[in-house]
Amino acid sequence: MLEFLLRIFGRDTTASKKVAKERLRLVLVHDRAGVSPHLLEALKNDLISVISEYLDIDTQGLEVTLSHENDSVALVANIPILRVKRTFKTGAETSVKA
Amino acid sequence: MLSSTGSDTGAGTRQGITFPAAREKPGADNHTFLVCRTVRSGQRFEYPGNVVVMGDVHPGGEIVASGHVIVMGTLRGVVHAGAEGDEKAVVMAFRLQPTQLRIAGYITRAPDNEAQDITGEPEIARVQDEAVVIEKYQPGGEKRWLNRTMFEEEEEQNG
Amino acid sequence: MGEVIVITSGKGGVGKTTTTANLGTGLASLGKKVVLVDTDIGLRNLDVVMGLENRIVYDLLDVVEGRCRLKQALIKDKRLENLYLLPANQTRDKTAVSRQQMVDLMAQLREEYEFVLIDCPAGIEMGFKNAIAGAEKALVVTTPEVAAVRDADRIIGLLEAAEMEAPRLIINRLRPDMVRKGDMMDIEDMLEILAIDLIGVVPEDEYIVISTNRGEPAVLDKHSRAGQAYRNIARRLTGEEVPFLNWDAGNGIMARLRRLIGLG
Repeated sequence: MLEFLLRIFGRDTTASKKVAKERLRLVLVHDRAGVSPHLLEALKNDLISVISEYLDIDTQGLEVTLSHENDSVALVANIPILRVKRTFKTGAETSVKA
Repeated sequence: MLSSTGSDTGAGTRQGITFPAAREKPGADNHTFLVCRTVRSGQRFEYPGNVVVMGDVHPGGEIVASGHVIVMGTLRGVVHAGAEGDEKAVVMAFRLQPTQLRIAGYITRAPDNEAQDITGEPEIARVQDEAVVIEKYQPGGEKRWLNRTMFEEEEEQNG
Repeated sequence: MGEVIVITSGKGGVGKTTTTANLGTGLASLGKKVVLVDTDIGLRNLDVVMGLENRIVYDLLDVVEGRCRLKQALIKDKRLENLYLLPANQTRDKTAVSRQQMVDLMAQLREEYEFVLIDCPAGIEMGFKNAIAGAEKALVVTTPEVAAVRDADRIIGLLEAAEMEAPRLIINRLRPDMVRKGDMMDIEDMLEILAIDLIGVVPEDEYIVISTNRGEPAVLDKHSRAGQAYRNIARRLTGEEVPFLNWDAGNGIMARLRRLIGLG
């Protein structure tokens, strides 16, 4: 009954425009990322340089994509590891033996 | 009579059809091309001779012929008869309601702000006194118009 | 030197052609010298919306391919002295013209006209690229629907990538009654999502169907709500400041009732 009244007075709690706006927002996150392969490419290069300090990775097989599932968009990076480095640099530029 | 009949097999995506081979032959103007389908918007048939359409010509469709054009159906598109300058060419249709009608160098269209009077009768358009006139088609009349060129040629040869 | 403005949308059926016809007619009735260019080769419609379809002898393709002079292909409007149409070809497709040909054509048109309005085809392929090639400004038309706004966003991205002046938005077919009920995105929603400047809002109007049937742009009709909106946009294009009508202000019985009982 209350719902009916709310509907009559235009106060439907699940107004379809909210749904539309939310869906648009999600789809645009995906679209806009898709528009600029530059962004993903730059991100990929940065990832490689950071990760390479810790791990030997297959830079050719590295994949970075945006995955659109249910109600969220996630960044998915598939990074094949060749070898774990025995030494790595810390922020203080000192080498540590494992 | 020098006449060969071409027939269109109706490839839907074909957009304009010309027959350069026929054009090169002298006297090719007496050839007739038969279009066995509806000519839709964006389709254009061009032929160096007469064209007969067994179907309608929709708005946006175009028929260009160096000779006569006969539409066995409703003509609503653009038609150009006598496209290479033959002012004796005619346009005939069961229902003649063209977007634009051209014969040789003459161009006409229906007047603005006036409901087209649809007679429902076959009509014929031809050039008379430097203007395109449209009149009811009368059987027998085609001898006067369609074969006029040939008769005149014969008369010239005989006389 | 005139302005070359492309009217585009990405999605089909949101009112590009209607908008082009109405803005062109609106600008011409303000005394501007205007030419409308239909670049939707193979699917032309601007001629029909303008009611000029039976006057076409030459078209855009005849001009760029040198079969006629530009002047011969331009069709003078039957209502306004200073309004012309360059129709598209109907028998070929978008690949028939090149970018450079369009750039040259627009450069030629802007010499003589104060406003060159380009009706862009739907899509983002060659037809779109050609249409925007010779333009310096763009108007993006959208409707308050998810699909149309999404495509508008894509188009805005492409226009920005083409280094064109920031495009401005026309929201078409807005239904204030549905907006009030919360069943249609409102102007702020769309501006927030698309993040571009608004140049006008055109309400849904039955009269558009009638005027298209007749081939007479609604902008010429004093009683058409959409026509009024198009007149305002035309004035904004000339640089005049015209206040936006407040479509959200509810004036219906329900809205008044809501306010009365303190819900609105």
